[in-house]
Amino acid sequence: MDSLRGQGGIQMLLTAEQEAGRIVSAARTAKLARMKQAKDEAEKEMEEYRSRLEEEYQTQVSGTDQEADAKRLDDETDVRITNLKESSSKVSKDIVKMLIKYVTTTAA
Amino acid sequence: MNDADASIQIQQMVRFIRQEAEEKANEISISSEEEFNIEKLQLVEAEKKKIRQEYEKKEKQVDVRKKIDYSMQLNASRIKVLQAQDDIVNAMKEEAAKQLLKVSQHGFFNHHHHQYKHLLKDLIVQCLLRLKEPAVLLRCREEDLDIVESMLDDASEEYCKKAKVHAPEIIVDKDIFLPPAPSDDDPHALSCAGGVVLASRDGKIVCENTLDARLEVAFRNKLPEIRKSLFGKVGAA
Repeated sequence: MDSLRGQGGIQMLLTAEQEAGRIVSAARTAKLARMKQAKDEAEKEMEEYRSRLEEEYQTQVSGTDQEADAKRLDDETDVRITNLKESSSKVSKDIVKMLIKYVTTTAA
Repeated sequence: MNDADASIQIQQMVRFIRQEAEEKANEISISSEEEFNIEKLQLVEAEKKKIRQEYEKKEKQVDVRKKIDYSMQLNASRIKVLQAQDDIVNAMKEEAAKQLLKVSQHGFFNHHHHQYKHLLKDLIVQCLLRLKEPAVLLRCREEDLDIVESMLDDASEEYCKKAKVHAPEIIVDKDIFLPPAPSDDDPHALSCAGGVVLASRDGKIVCENTLDARLEVAFRNKLPEIRKSLFGKVGAA
């Protein structure tokens, strides 16, 4: 009878040990899952970060500002050339006269 | 030890085992959270750094490309302006060349050839003074032949006075003439607005005193002045 009771006690202790093992094992499994979650969350954050930078990069690459600069430069150049032509037309007669005078005057 | 005591002791041991397990599990859970945060932070920071560097490099390349593009556009713009300046200057020269044709035409000087005749004489004297040769060959346009021959003596006399030498022998080439004035029929043909070309007998020394050649010289000499008048600053030729 005593031995039976003793065996029952041992059984209780073994069961307690097994349950303790399961508790610790579950905690370890949860830890591994958490580490995987850390990796997954990091990857997700990275993707978001990358796509944000990509968006900024695409904005920089898209040549809207560049096209505007090029057009402005073209317009400025055309205006400058028009002004050159206008201002030169005012003195062209004098220049032609001066050249003709130079050609038809000898210092002999 | 009776059954009750043994049972209590076993219960205590069971509780102790469970408590130990729960404490251990709790420790694991706490360390799990710490490691989760550290691991995630490390992964994020390391990868973020890599991505940031990658995009910084890409953006730098874009920036360099944009600067190169803008520099090329700026250069093209400058060339366009310089080309326009060149066109304006050349247009002046062409206009002067057109006006020059009127010099040797009837009606430019006092409505007859008197002034052109005088100019031709001066051009011949100038050539003679440059050549300082006892005998020279003179070439003119066929349409100017009569005028040239009519004032050759005057030119020779003036040269003698100025150079204090004997009269040179001037041979007028009646076989080969300078090209005629340009015509509308063939604007690309060789042409000459007037003037003369003198050479030593052996042909080694040549004095080209055509109106066209003089215009070239005038244009070359006056180019900085012309550019300054046109564009307000002395430009490169």
